[in-house]
Amino acid sequence: MNPTTTTPLEDDEIIGGLLMAAEKATHSLKGRSLEELLSTPETRETLRHYATEMGEAALQVSEMMRNWASHIPWELLISLRDGAQPLGDDDAVRALWSFFQEQFPPVRMALQEMWQPAHLRRKADPVEEYALDKNTYDFFRPAGRDLLKRTEEYYGWVEARRQTETWPYSRTLEVTPGSKAQVTNEAGRRTQGINFASQDYLSLNAHPAVREAAARALHDFGPHSAGSAMAVGNTRISEELEQALASLVQMEHITLFPTGWAAGFGAVVGLVRPEDHVLIDRLAHACLQQGARAATKNVIRYEHLNSEAVRQSLKDIRARDSRNGILVVTDALFSVDADWPDLITLQAVCREYDATLLVDVAHDLGSMGPGGTGVLGMQDLLGKVDLVMGAFSKSFASNGGFLASHSPAVKQYVKMFGGSHMFSNALSPVQTAVVLKATELIRSPEGDTLRAKLFGAVHALREELTGQGLTCMGSPSPIVPLLIGNEKLARTVYRLFFDRGVLAVMVEFPVTPIGAARFRLQVQASHEPGEAREAARVIGRSISDARAHLTSAFGSELV
Amino acid sequence: MFDAIIIGGRCAGSATALQLARKGHKVLVVDRSTFPSDVISTHFLWPHGTSYLNRWGLLDRVLAQTPSHTEIHLVNDGIPLAGTVPVELLRQYFQQLHGDDTGVVQRYASVRRLVLDKLLVDAAVEAGAEVREGFVVEELISEGDQVVGIRGRTRQGARVEERARVVVGADGRHSFVARTLKLPKYDERLKCTFAYWSYFSGFSLGTAHMHRRGRVSIAVVPTNFNQNMTLVFGPSEWFESFRRDVAGNFQRALDFVSPEIGERVRTQGKREERFYGTVDQAAFLRPLFGPGWVLVGDAGSSKDQCTATGMTHAFRDAELVSAALDAGLSGRQPLDVALKQYESRRRSQSAAAYYDYVCTQAEMRPLRHDELQLFVVLRSNQEETNRFIATHGDIAPLSEFFQASNLMLLSDAAKESSRDYAVFADFEATSRMYQQNLFAA
Ligand SMILES: Cc1cc2nc3c(=O)[nH]c(=O)nc-3n(C[C@H](O)[C@H](O)[C@H](O)COP(=O)(O)OP(=O)(O)OC[C@H]3O[C@@H](n4cnc5c(N)ncnc54)[C@H](O)[C@@H]3O)c2cc1C
Ligand SMILES: Cc1ncc(COP(=O)(O)O)c(C=O)c1O
Repeated sequence: MNPTTTTPLEDDEIIGGLLMAAEKATHSLKGRSLEELLSTPETRETLRHYATEMGEAALQVSEMMRNWASHIPWELLISLRDGAQPLGDDDAVRALWSFFQEQFPPVRMALQEMWQPAHLRRKADPVEEYALDKNTYDFFRPAGRDLLKRTEEYYGWVEARRQTETWPYSRTLEVTPGSKAQVTNEAGRRTQGINFASQDYLSLNAHPAVREAAARALHDFGPHSAGSAMAVGNTRISEELEQALASLVQMEHITLFPTGWAAGFGAVVGLVRPEDHVLIDRLAHACLQQGARAATKNVIRYEHLNSEAVRQSLKDIRARDSRNGILVVTDALFSVDADWPDLITLQAVCREYDATLLVDVAHDLGSMGPGGTGVLGMQDLLGKVDLVMGAFSKSFASNGGFLASHSPAVKQYVKMFGGSHMFSNALSPVQTAVVLKATELIRSPEGDTLRAKLFGAVHALREELTGQGLTCMGSPSPIVPLLIGNEKLARTVYRLFFDRGVLAVMVEFPVTPIGAARFRLQVQASHEPGEAREAARVIGRSISDARAHLTSAFGSELV
Repeated sequence: MFDAIIIGGRCAGSATALQLARKGHKVLVVDRSTFPSDVISTHFLWPHGTSYLNRWGLLDRVLAQTPSHTEIHLVNDGIPLAGTVPVELLRQYFQQLHGDDTGVVQRYASVRRLVLDKLLVDAAVEAGAEVREGFVVEELISEGDQVVGIRGRTRQGARVEERARVVVGADGRHSFVARTLKLPKYDERLKCTFAYWSYFSGFSLGTAHMHRRGRVSIAVVPTNFNQNMTLVFGPSEWFESFRRDVAGNFQRALDFVSPEIGERVRTQGKREERFYGTVDQAAFLRPLFGPGWVLVGDAGSSKDQCTATGMTHAFRDAELVSAALDAGLSGRQPLDVALKQYESRRRSQSAAAYYDYVCTQAEMRPLRHDELQLFVVLRSNQEETNRFIATHGDIAPLSEFFQASNLMLLSDAAKESSRDYAVFADFEATSRMYQQNLFAA
């Protein structure tokens, strides 16, 4: 026997039938009073007929569905069969009448919503939907053999995000970055507001002494280094800078690089060979990750901050490989989560297994810790870590980076084999002079004052945000990561921030995992605490409004 | 006066009841159903789901009547993967969430709710909980804003009132407790799948098979009574056209996604029940607790079926909430502090990431070129395949597998090439074809 004819109908078909019968029953009552109904036999009959049909349908609905859709009064619907039977009984007709007038409307809505959810009938703006839905990674592996043409799909998405003003990259600053700034977005709109988007933690970009140093270097040496540091790209102040940095981090040998990225990449690539191993914190900066991948296939990405995991991996590696090198790589202050590792343990574990530790201090050196010595200083590790690298781009008001070690041999070797030192134009004289002056300021009492101001604003901002029920990740540092989660929500909030004069960096995949989008609020010494609090209130309101917008545009509430 | 009244006696409710009762609390469970009783679900239990049952001493009873396996077969646009959830990842899961990893098993099982829920109810009774079946709760009793009890109707029609120190809403997606307290739904994700399934006898594929092609998925999983739970799902936008001819489109979907499985079902399969189906699967979260009440399972958050995790999550909640309620009821901790901890586990950052993952999966967009490449890459890396499967089922954290640098490392180490798979031959044309509604007349 064919089972299709013997098994009952599928639930949706039955519920569709029930709704149809209900429609007809209600139609027969339209515009009629109870008295009219009672005195019109045909209408009584029609009503009885459709009520019975509804009851029969409810009875056929599967047990599965009834137990699941427990908000539908199935028993009541089933009872429509019997309640309607005695045709002549006025009370039965009255009961049906009041059922359709009072009880049924919400039930009908609930059934309708199950049977054909409202969102299937709603149309959203397709461009906005496209812009809010996709991820950069959707385009990471374009298909096709035309290398140039296959970039177009990604470009189409970027265009959609620009059009909807949800594209966070490449805005243009109209004036120098300060605590307030004016920017133009890609749609050509201009806004002015509190600037959490620039990385200038100590506000040295506006410092008269720094500007003065830049002007003098420009006058003395011209704007151009005109060659690699290995050739003639260095000036006498380059050496002065190396010494100043050596005193700050208490490591004698400093190599300068044209960017922080070049320092991280060059340090790893310069030292690690294909047979060697790299253990790297999952969240370490991209320049280090890419350096590791370029240097060897033996890369282990350990759980963020987990020194026990490092110990275990080192033990495993050493059990099978006693000959080759192991580089352990971590940031000091992590920019995405605003936290830092226990470097004392990490360095001790490295010593135990003959591994080398490289720490990236790009974000913390200068901006926190005693005398601006960063996380190393806070953990009393100045001069006690194998290798330290940093970038000038956060607290030293310039491009550039460095690698510090205790060994002249390491310095010479990385200069030659790191690639990014030898095969790139040296820091310009102006940059060198700026970093030198910044280093002096960082180490001076004025540096302490600037850091105290910076942290005053950091605490005010975190406190006000947390007070509004928002989540600030990590510990107090110049970076305040405000967790949002959903990308769609973050992109919409971003647009509101722009309109309301809060300039902040949105980070989403691939910088953070999917579904963990956030804003990175970068605080500066020139932010006033009151200003930071006011900004936090604007942020809170923008997030509520973005949720409301998404609800009305797409019918989805994102909390 | 009870310590706890639990409304709903299935995955969330009975599991909570049996653990509370075992700790010596006085528990009442009420459910409008009479067990054994079925409820909508395709009832796949991932290994952490069966591990929970094992931790509570119930897995043997389940497996005595239910087939179970360790290896899962996935095929995505013709790229096959097979794997098993690793024990270490299961251990890490339980350690991380519950602080103890006893009872971990690697088996998965597809258990009819008819079987499973009855077993859970019986276990709750054995543990000392009072269970009233056929009992419909019609009102919550409140004093001020504190919920203090329930009013309802017994199977015989008698009206009854009961009071307790806490009322647990384990009453499913359409939760009575949530509706009565007018709790908001938030972070709603309306795009979801439509799912249609039935039970077929007459053939066996051995283990669980889950295949995907374009915007349509099918699954065949051996379940009780020598039957195969056979499921088809696709994007909610295609729902209307699908249901115009359920039986015909069901077979069409099987044939489209896997001609071999389509053929097996057509020629050897005997359908034993009607088709079941629903598109009412939009995801949402609700507040989890308040004065005198707490929600567990689907009542607190419900998601699309596409990753088959709702029951396992109900078990997870049951274990978390009973630990919290035990601490609160016994006075070791203020109740609201304990429940806050329950909430923070359920609403952790990694839980939020998984919620996003399921909701994104539920949109059933065609697999992207890079996703398919990833599946090719995984073919030569069993360890990462296993981790991917564990990640998909919410056993391993998403942030570890789907971290950009991990994906890059994976593809660096690829051994197979995409050349071997037809889907890459003219990928653009294929993707365009996938966008066409398969069920449009
Ligand atoms: C199509 C589909 C397929 C699915 N497939 C899977 C899968 O493969 N694997 C998986 O893990 N999950 C799956 N799920 C999800 C899973 O079914 C749910 O997450 C799970 O049932 C939730 O369990 P629960 O105990 O919270 O609620 P339920 O199972 O819904 O139980 C709630 C109980 O409360 C009772 N109740 C409600 N109101 C009252 C009242 N007023 N008085 C008395 N009693 C009341 C009801 O009678 C019911 O018995 C699927 C869901 C759907 C929709
Ligand atoms: C931790 C870390 N290291 C290195 C760099 C690279 O520095 P730069 O921008 O100067 O190239 C950055 C900045 O992006 C960073 O955040």
